[in-house]
Amino acid sequence: MRRVVITGMGAINALGHNAADTWREMLAGRSAIGPIQAVPAEKLRAKVAAEVRDYDPAQHFDDKRLPILDRTSQFAVIAAREAVRQSGIDFDQGDLRERSAVIVGTGVGGETSHDEAFRRLYGDNNPRVHPFTIVRVMANAPACHLSIEFGLTGPAFGVVSACASSNHAFSQALQTIRAGGADVALAGGAEACITLGLTKAWEAMRVLADDTCRPFCLQRRGLVLGEGAAIFVLEEYERARRRGATILAELAGAGLSADASDLVLPSQAGAVAAMRRALKDAGLPLERIGYINAHGTATPANDPSETRAIRETFGALAPIIPISSTKAMHGHALGAAGALEMVAALGALREQAVPPTANFLDPDPQCDLDYVPNVAREAKVSAVLSNSFAFGGLNAVIAVKRAE
Amino acid sequence: MNESVERQLYEIIAKQSGIDVATITPQSTLKDLGVDSLTAIETIFEIEEHFGVTLPDRDPNFDTDSVQGLLTALQQALDSAAAAPGAA
Repeated sequence: MRRVVITGMGAINALGHNAADTWREMLAGRSAIGPIQAVPAEKLRAKVAAEVRDYDPAQHFDDKRLPILDRTSQFAVIAAREAVRQSGIDFDQGDLRERSAVIVGTGVGGETSHDEAFRRLYGDNNPRVHPFTIVRVMANAPACHLSIEFGLTGPAFGVVSACASSNHAFSQALQTIRAGGADVALAGGAEACITLGLTKAWEAMRVLADDTCRPFCLQRRGLVLGEGAAIFVLEEYERARRRGATILAELAGAGLSADASDLVLPSQAGAVAAMRRALKDAGLPLERIGYINAHGTATPANDPSETRAIRETFGALAPIIPISSTKAMHGHALGAAGALEMVAALGALREQAVPPTANFLDPDPQCDLDYVPNVAREAKVSAVLSNSFAFGGLNAVIAVKRAE
Repeated sequence: MNESVERQLYEIIAKQSGIDVATITPQSTLKDLGVDSLTAIETIFEIEEHFGVTLPDRDPNFDTDSVQGLLTALQQALDSAAAAPGAA
């Protein structure tokens, strides 16, 4: 079977405007959650978010292009440019443009453009909506812009499965390269979801924390929204080796499942099935997993359910595996979450250090595993599981390992 | 044809497409002028905004339609707006 490796990564999110800064901040355990600025805070109960700060789109895009780019697509393109640059890949080689796929996850698509267009229509009573609204809000827009940016003409599409979108995108890219449908793929996720409308909607679900995000700890009060993107260059192993690429890690396997039950109450069985399938797909025995990047949303329901699922999957090994939820630092970026968490997974593999679960106070008896509270830890990490479980009961777990 | 309307129309097209207004003739198609499909849509939007009218739906690629066609459609829209009951 064709193997798939990661040869480039790029990111922009509340922790930093590139992957290296993102990883450094994660390792330092710094939470980028702060007072929300994009939304009139007086209209919110939960007044915090992990926003991308000090960001000027005009530094990245010219006047001609900017009007057709929602913030979500802007983030995707910025992250992809970094990933492509880092990979050193030359799309002009042979038929590589035709042999390159683009698969990008997003949960809500061009939310900021949606909110703005409809605010004009309903709020300002302006009967006209800008004609670029559709091309900005469509959930496939980030994938379109990456294909245009790099001239890639292989399979390209968006993947939409809420908080598991990125991991579903990685899974699709993995299968596409394995099956020979492409030799290279740009894959990951992008989200810019912090608008008044959507934040109010999350508030109405009663899952937003009003203080900060504290995964797995007793005082957790829910999730905190985040935004950003992370995009990776995935490449068929032999091809990457032939061109002398630096291999960051091997994308070893993916496990997908559905709970087929409740839209918002995660099922232990669904999570277990996804983790087991990822391990099997990757050919990794339980004892190889040296770090689990948990879904860890810090909602009352997710964290105990995920804890039980990890216990059921790993049995006696569960208590000795370092686990963390980096959402405490970059927030819950919905469709981009799994991609931002891939930065953590690759960092752990490359630097043999596990990023912490920031904002941790006291342990919860219902969450009784090793969540690496507040301070990063050195650890032997040769393989990582990264969990994503979406509303709707859609689960996607990715396994990455050190390239051998 | 009202020369002022024509001039304003040309100016909107020139601004949207970033070209010199002098290069526009009634026979030009937006494609000839190098206006891509999205810019054509935006240009129509700007014309409608500027004149306060709604133009009929049409092929947004403007491969064949000329500036003269756009001008005629605009003049018709302006005329029917002026003839509408209650118009000043």
